[in-house]
Amino acid sequence: MLGTDAFASLAEAAAAALGVPHLRLVAVPHPLGGIDPKLARAKADDAVDRVIAALTRDPAPPALTSATPTTIARAPADIDLFQDFALTEGWSDGMPVLPPTAERVERILGALAARRAEVIATLAPRRGVATLETIAANLALAGALPEHLPVVVAAIRALADPRFNLNAIQTTTHPCTPLLIVNGPIVRYLAINAGANALGQGHRANAVIGRAVRLTLQNIGGARPGREDRATLGHPGKYSYCLAENEAESPWAPLHVERGFGATESCVTVCGSEAPHNVNDHGSTSAEALLFAIAGTAATTGSNDVYLGGEPLVVLGPEHARTFADSGWSKADVKRAIWERARVRLDRFSPENRQRFGVIDPERFRGRLLAEDVALCASPDDLMVIVAGGPGKHSAIIPTFGATRSVTVTIGD
Amino acid sequence: MSRVDVLSPLGATTGEVKPPARRGGSLAGLRVGILDNSKPNAEVLLGRVAELLVERAGAGPVTVWRKPGASRPATVIAEVVAGSDVVLTGSAD
Repeated sequence: MLGTDAFASLAEAAAAALGVPHLRLVAVPHPLGGIDPKLARAKADDAVDRVIAALTRDPAPPALTSATPTTIARAPADIDLFQDFALTEGWSDGMPVLPPTAERVERILGALAARRAEVIATLAPRRGVATLETIAANLALAGALPEHLPVVVAAIRALADPRFNLNAIQTTTHPCTPLLIVNGPIVRYLAINAGANALGQGHRANAVIGRAVRLTLQNIGGARPGREDRATLGHPGKYSYCLAENEAESPWAPLHVERGFGATESCVTVCGSEAPHNVNDHGSTSAEALLFAIAGTAATTGSNDVYLGGEPLVVLGPEHARTFADSGWSKADVKRAIWERARVRLDRFSPENRQRFGVIDPERFRGRLLAEDVALCASPDDLMVIVAGGPGKHSAIIPTFGATRSVTVTIGD
Repeated sequence: MSRVDVLSPLGATTGEVKPPARRGGSLAGLRVGILDNSKPNAEVLLGRVAELLVERAGAGPVTVWRKPGASRPATVIAEVVAGSDVVLTGSAD
């Protein structure tokens, strides 16, 4: 296995998770991408002796590690000292966490305590086994309550669906993280914010549900920042990224109903999402007019969705949604119109990127005129539209990792 | 210092460790497979190493497979295994 020295920690973790910790990594100096191929060849010349050695000499047996990790740890009782402990153990996201004592975990499990060992998912890249009890320990760290457990468990189940591509989302340099969209009656029951500041601070359910999912992915999934989680920059939603759809103020069927679930079912949808980018339009009074700002914000040269064909999300503020509906547009009309208008001309990509994506996605990038364009995703149906937020003339575009599909599951079973 | 018992939030892993394939001491006549992970210049690095394995160690022939984009899982693992004695691949960037 070859890679660059800057990414050695991820390569070694991947080998260990796949059961081949003895696999030799031959590291070359970073970077490899974005350099002249001549320099890449020179790095190969320097590495070849180590490759020959790795392929001709038996590898050293892996260091012995305990097959069953410690399940109970002795931690400082003092809440401030506990923060240092949690950071040292790699359990924390940097903000204060609460100790997952047996009593607190038990309270979170509640009636599910009898099923504590039930495996919900195996989480990449560590191949960590997410049981109800271990997920509950992460809720305890996050400050979440027993009633939040079913949402987090459903989200974890959705994240492990192969269509989501969790291994790549967890380890990529791209700034993506699961965005949770909650629909159905549970939104009111848990007071998940769908209104003003829906993607901001100030609401416990949004904060702790999103945070518990992040901590579960970091701890059980083993995506430690700067080690296996290789995000170049990341984004603030990696602390917590959860909202509800504002179904009451949407002129259309909500996301889960669009996907075949009943209006009275509670669902969570997970998306592999970037940070939101705002669309300010205080002036437009018709659907046609509003398209300018939305399409102009949605289509950008450096977007993974444009490169790879993902499922970008348009979060319409209720007032913008009303402007579309008052023009007689359905949600499908909105999707098609944005898809037709949100495009990037090929002459706005560098020759290197046209070449690169011509190999990865020849249909959209290869052999086409520079005056032609590519849409922000492969088809109008790939565009997601929800309604959220409070009063005001703003909406948001939330791009994705590209090589991922959102997954919707019901909450509770 | 006063201490308290807490439950580890890490949990177990699937924990399987596979035995490594035995190395034969020589690469002479061994089929070299390249699984290009589709990252920029991976093909250049892996291709040049394979070229040198042929030149210096008498390995060959060399066959190249590609992942369908760096961020998508490989779909050709069985084919690579069947068609190679030793495999070079890239991890990450």
